[in-house]
Amino acid sequence: MYCVINYYRGDGGLRGGGRRGPAKQETKVLEARDVRKNFGDVHAVDGLSFTARPGEIFGLIGPNGAGKSTTIRMAMNIIAPDSGEILIRGRRLAEEDKAIVGYLPEERGLYRKSKVGDMLLYFAALKGCRAAQARESMDAWLERFGILDWKGRKIDELSKGMAQKVQFIAAVIHSPRLVLFDEPFAGLDPLSQDILLKAMLELRSEGVTLLFSTHIMEHAEKVCERILLVDRGREILSGSLAEVKASYGRNAVQIEYDGDAAFVEELPFVESVTRYPRWLEAQLRPGCDADELFRALAGRVKVRRFEVVAPSLHKIFTSLVGVPEEADHE
Amino acid sequence: MNKTLLVAKHEFLATAANRAFVIITLIGPLLILALTVLPSVLATRGQTSAGSTLAVVGADEPTLAALAAALAPAKAIVASAADEGTARSGIASGRYAAALLLPGLWTEARTLTLLAKTGTDYAFYSRIEAVAAALSRDARAAASGIDPALVRRLLAGPGFDVVVPGKEAKGSGGGLDQYLGILFTVLAFVMLMYMTVLLYGQLIGRSVILEKSSKTVEFMLSSVSSRDLLAGKILGPGLAGLIQYAFWVAIALAGIGVLGPALHVSLPSTLTAGNLFWLVAFFVPAYFLYSSIYAALGAGAEDDQHLTQLALPLLVFLMLPLVLLNFFLSSPNSAISVICSFFPLTSPIVMLIRVLVSPPAWWQLALSYAILLASVWGAYRLAAKVFRVGILMTGKRRRLSEILRWASLK
Repeated sequence: MYCVINYYRGDGGLRGGGRRGPAKQETKVLEARDVRKNFGDVHAVDGLSFTARPGEIFGLIGPNGAGKSTTIRMAMNIIAPDSGEILIRGRRLAEEDKAIVGYLPEERGLYRKSKVGDMLLYFAALKGCRAAQARESMDAWLERFGILDWKGRKIDELSKGMAQKVQFIAAVIHSPRLVLFDEPFAGLDPLSQDILLKAMLELRSEGVTLLFSTHIMEHAEKVCERILLVDRGREILSGSLAEVKASYGRNAVQIEYDGDAAFVEELPFVESVTRYPRWLEAQLRPGCDADELFRALAGRVKVRRFEVVAPSLHKIFTSLVGVPEEADHE
Repeated sequence: MNKTLLVAKHEFLATAANRAFVIITLIGPLLILALTVLPSVLATRGQTSAGSTLAVVGADEPTLAALAAALAPAKAIVASAADEGTARSGIASGRYAAALLLPGLWTEARTLTLLAKTGTDYAFYSRIEAVAAALSRDARAAASGIDPALVRRLLAGPGFDVVVPGKEAKGSGGGLDQYLGILFTVLAFVMLMYMTVLLYGQLIGRSVILEKSSKTVEFMLSSVSSRDLLAGKILGPGLAGLIQYAFWVAIALAGIGVLGPALHVSLPSTLTAGNLFWLVAFFVPAYFLYSSIYAALGAGAEDDQHLTQLALPLLVFLMLPLVLLNFFLSSPNSAISVICSFFPLTSPIVMLIRVLVSPPAWWQLALSYAILLASVWGAYRLAAKVFRVGILMTGKRRRLSEILRWASLK
C-alpha cells in the first residue's frame, strides 16, 4: 500500500521510509532553537524553541497571526529565519531530505486543469516515490477517503472538501516520516474533519511524526500529545497535554442542560464560563466546591450531565491569551 | 528521475498535449507557405487584373485596339464608353474596374485622368499608364516625322540582373525574383521567430503566475528547489517548441526537395537547409533568453494583465527587428545592423536576417552567438534569484524596478 523511499543520512546510515517504527537513536525529529523572524516591524516569530519527538503528534497552537505558519515555513526551508535554526533530523532541511517530509501548507491549492490521479502521481514522483508504489499508495488513500472514483476526474470538478482530502493525500502519498500540517482542518465540515483526524492518528500509530498547527483547541486536544501554545510569536506554554491540564487542576465543570443557564456567570464562586449551544464549561474559583454549583443549578435548569473535569485547552488558552478575535469553534 | 526533468516533463505535457499546440504546429508550415511560396505562385499563375474591364472614353478604334492588345496578356478587357457620365456610373455599378478619359489630342496632353473603382490596384493602373505612354510617344514621334520604331529602340535601355556571387538564382528571372525570394524567406523566418518566442515567453510567464494563483507553490517548494522548478518550467515548453520547429523544418525541407519541384514552383533560393539550421540555432537561445526573463516577470506579477504591463519593455526589443526589417534588409552591414546583431535582445532576429541577406564575417557570427549564450546564462541566473523571492510574494502589484531589486537579495 505504501511507497518506500530510501534516503541517505549524514551519519552514514541508509534508512528506509515506508511504515516502520521510529529509529531508536532519534530523539528529536524536528527541533527549533531560539528561532526569530521579523517582517518589517512585526515580530512574527520571537525566540521559539521546541522539539518534536519521533512518532508523536506535536501541536503548534495559537490564535491567527501567532506565527505558526511562519514557523512551519521556516521548518520547510521555504523562508529563512533571521536568527536561530530549525533542524529536521539534526540539520536544516536539505533537498535530499524533502523525500521523507510531507507538508500540507496553509496556502494550498491544486492544478485545476489536472486530473486527480495524474496530479497525485506527479507530486509523489517529485518526492522520489516510484510510480508503481505511488499508484498503490494513491489508490489506498483515495479509497479510504471514498473518492477513488474521482481519480480520473479533473480537480475543477471536485468539491472543496474533496479537494482538501486530495491535498492531504498529496502530503502523505510518499509515506513520509515527518508530516507538517498547517491548519489542516480549515474550511472542512465536521465529518471530513473527523476523517482527517482519524487518518492522522493512524499515521502516528505507524510511527510517523506529525506536527500540526491549529487555532482550534478541540482538535489539538483530540490528537496532540505535546503542545506549544504561541501568541504574537512567543511561547505562552509548552509540554505534554496531560501535564498542562494537570497543572490547572480539576476545578472545571462541564454541564449539559436544557433551559436558560445565563445565571451561572453571575454566581460568586464561578470564575468564568464558556457557553456552547447546549452545554457550558464553568471554571470555579480556587477553593470552591462543585457541589455548590450543582445545588445552584437544581430546579433552575434540567441537568443532563454534570462532570468535574480538568479545564479544556480552550479554557486554558483563553485564560492565558484572552478571547481571540475570531471564533475558535469550527 | 531528476526533479528538473520531472517538472519539465509535466510542463511539456501541459504545453504539448492540447489542441492549441497541434493547431499552431500545423498552421506554422502554412504560414511559411503563405509568405514564401504563395506570392511566387500568384505572380506566375495569376493576375490581379484578370477579368477587369477598362472603359475608355474618347478613344478612336486604333487606340482601343492598341490598348486591348497591350492589356490582353493581363487578361483585362477594354471597352468603349460614350462619355464620362457613363464611365462613372459603370464604375459605381462595378461593371468597370477603371475608366480612362482621353480628351481631344490626348497624345499631346501632359496628364490623363483615370477613374478607378478602388484606387489601390496599382499593378493594373501602371500597365494602362505604360500603354498610354507608349501610344502617346509613338504618335508624337510620327507627328515629328521620326520612325516610332527607331524611338523605341533608342529609348530601350538594358535591364539589371542583380546577382550575388555564390547565390546565383537557378533559372530565376533575375534580381527582382531574388530580392522577393530573400524578402519572403526573411519575413517568414522573422515572423516565426517573433511569434514563437513571444508566445512561449508569455506561456511560461503565465505558468509561473498559475503556480502562485493556484496556491501550489508552497507545496511544490516542499518537494523541489526554486531553481529546479524554474529550470523545469523553462525546459518543458522549450522541448515542445523544439519539436514544433523540427516539424516545421521537416516540412520546409520536404517543400524544397519534393513539393516545389512537383508543383513546378520556384522556391526562394534562400530557403535552404543551411538557413533553416540558422533559424533553429537562433531560436533556441532566443527562447531561453526571453523565457527566463518572462519567468522572472511572471514571479513578480499578480495576474496576466500585470505580466503584460511588466513585459512591455521586453516587447519593444522583440518588435524592433520587425519595425526596422526593411532597413536591416537593405543595409545588413550598417553600424546599426551590426550593433543590433550583437545586442542579445535583438541579435537572434537581426543576426538571422544578416545571415540570410549577406552572411557576416565568421568572427561576427561567433561573437554574437557567444554574447547571446552568455546573456542566456546571465538571464537565467537573474531569473532564478527573482523567481525565488517573487514566487512567494502575493497581494501587491509591484513595479518592475522593485522586482529587479529582488535579484540582489541574499
